[in-house]
Amino acid sequence: MKVAIPGLRGGLVPLVIVVVLVVLPILGVPRAWLLYLFLFFVYLAMANMWNLLAGYSGLISLCQPAFIGLAGYTLVIITWNGLPFYLGIIAGAIIAAAFALLISIPVFRLRGIYFAIGTLVVPEALRIVFFLWRPVGGALHGGGAGYMVKGLAGISMSGFYWMALAIGITSIFLMRVILRSRLGLGLAAIRDNDNTAASSGVDVFRLKLYSFVIGAFVTGIAGAIFYIYQGYIEPVSTFTIRWTMILILSTVIGGIGIEEGPIVGTVIVVILHFLLARYAGLSLLIQGIILVGIMLLAPQGIMGFIRKARASRSPVTVSH
Amino acid sequence: MEAPILSVVGVTKRFGGLVAVNDLSFDVRAGDILGLMGPNGAGKSTLLNIIGGEYKPDSGIVKFKGHDIAGLSPHKICHLGIARTYQIPRPFTNLTALQNTMVAAIFGRGLEKSAAESEATKVLDITELSEKKEVVAKDLAALTLKRLELARALATKPALVMIDEVAAGLIEAEIPKILDILKEINKMGISIILVEHVMRVMMEAVDRIIVMDNGVKIAEGTPKEIMEDRKVIEAYFG
Repeated sequence: MKVAIPGLRGGLVPLVIVVVLVVLPILGVPRAWLLYLFLFFVYLAMANMWNLLAGYSGLISLCQPAFIGLAGYTLVIITWNGLPFYLGIIAGAIIAAAFALLISIPVFRLRGIYFAIGTLVVPEALRIVFFLWRPVGGALHGGGAGYMVKGLAGISMSGFYWMALAIGITSIFLMRVILRSRLGLGLAAIRDNDNTAASSGVDVFRLKLYSFVIGAFVTGIAGAIFYIYQGYIEPVSTFTIRWTMILILSTVIGGIGIEEGPIVGTVIVVILHFLLARYAGLSLLIQGIILVGIMLLAPQGIMGFIRKARASRSPVTVSH
Repeated sequence: MEAPILSVVGVTKRFGGLVAVNDLSFDVRAGDILGLMGPNGAGKSTLLNIIGGEYKPDSGIVKFKGHDIAGLSPHKICHLGIARTYQIPRPFTNLTALQNTMVAAIFGRGLEKSAAESEATKVLDITELSEKKEVVAKDLAALTLKRLELARALATKPALVMIDEVAAGLIEAEIPKILDILKEINKMGISIILVEHVMRVMMEAVDRIIVMDNGVKIAEGTPKEIMEDRKVIEAYFG
């Protein structure tokens, strides 16, 4: 597992980048920039987790909006009870992880594409649940069963940005740690051959469950941070495949199963959102075309393409 | 006499109308090398898959060190001390030989990463793979992969290892090397079930042979007895 971006290995370059990113709001950059960077880091954390699931654990999870939405609604419940928003983030992540544990009982019986289909219906079901269920009282907002998030007075755009930055950077760091740990080695073994892994003592079910729960937890944090920024949540725009689309696009464009893939992919997705912002109707169509194009032309995404180009330039030593 | 390390009693496995293994019984004593022979389709691989936990038998008992293991999941059976190699090597293709072996040492044996690395290095030495340590499995030659299968099995620290056709495809000159490795493994106190078509390996390495045909045990005895058994000759040539 080689790191393709040389700067990520040495400590200095990433440190400088992180410092610059941290002080960016103080330097007085335009609010719009901060907003796009905010989205970048929120999506990055989620995409990294989707890469952990789909790219490293063989779990094509299409229920990430469930974790995002549950964390968002937990945030609402916590803040409506007068508790601080940061407790909402933590509780949201815990609820998302607990929910992952719960749905693993049925969906982990399914494999491959059936797992994907099984998870696809979960956010749909939750959308209906939250359409009908009013977890806390208060007036209805908007057309659906929406809520305002309370207790956010005094948080500026810089504050939202810093939270997103924190989870985005943490998710990169977490991926590095996981992929170099026992869990990472076990997942790599399962990815190559799950039968051999099992007969070598790997508890395939448990390792995949670890990934699923970790993925839900971090996705939950990122989701809660998103709803802190948005300040408002309602079921239709929350439990939506739009989230899944963003995560798949970020991971696949950058390179699925490649550590740096989501970083590169998320940059492109955010740029696309910026460019396509005024063509709302066409946006999803264009993203879909890009996704199909990437899968046909460079199935390993941009980072995979770069790696291949590098490998073909340097002579390959094949040993027998 | 000491209780056998593995005892298979009346095991039957059906696939639809086909009875792949039919009321089969045998024992493996601690330290034994048991040969398993039979024409293609005799049920040898099915039997290994039952013992290894990939298939659950329809009936019968599989007892290993006193535990009833029939139907346990493969990783649990591995933890109890049974390892296996596959006839067609199934390595972790994107991992190096060392990492392949470390997976087994970490998850099969429960070692920490650094301990697993030194254990894996030792096992790769036994299977004469030290030079290939850092080579990614997909770049290894097919015959080298057979030894990697052995290395991975050994790294789980098994009490019993099931070896499925390790000598198939080897040239005559390479066979003594495999025989040495098998003896080395056996000397470590590991019992072996050896599935093999290469008769020379069977004759030289094995204490006892079981012959299967159509899912049934048709003969059991020393290599010499088996060679002279009429039923065996019929199964192979009749």
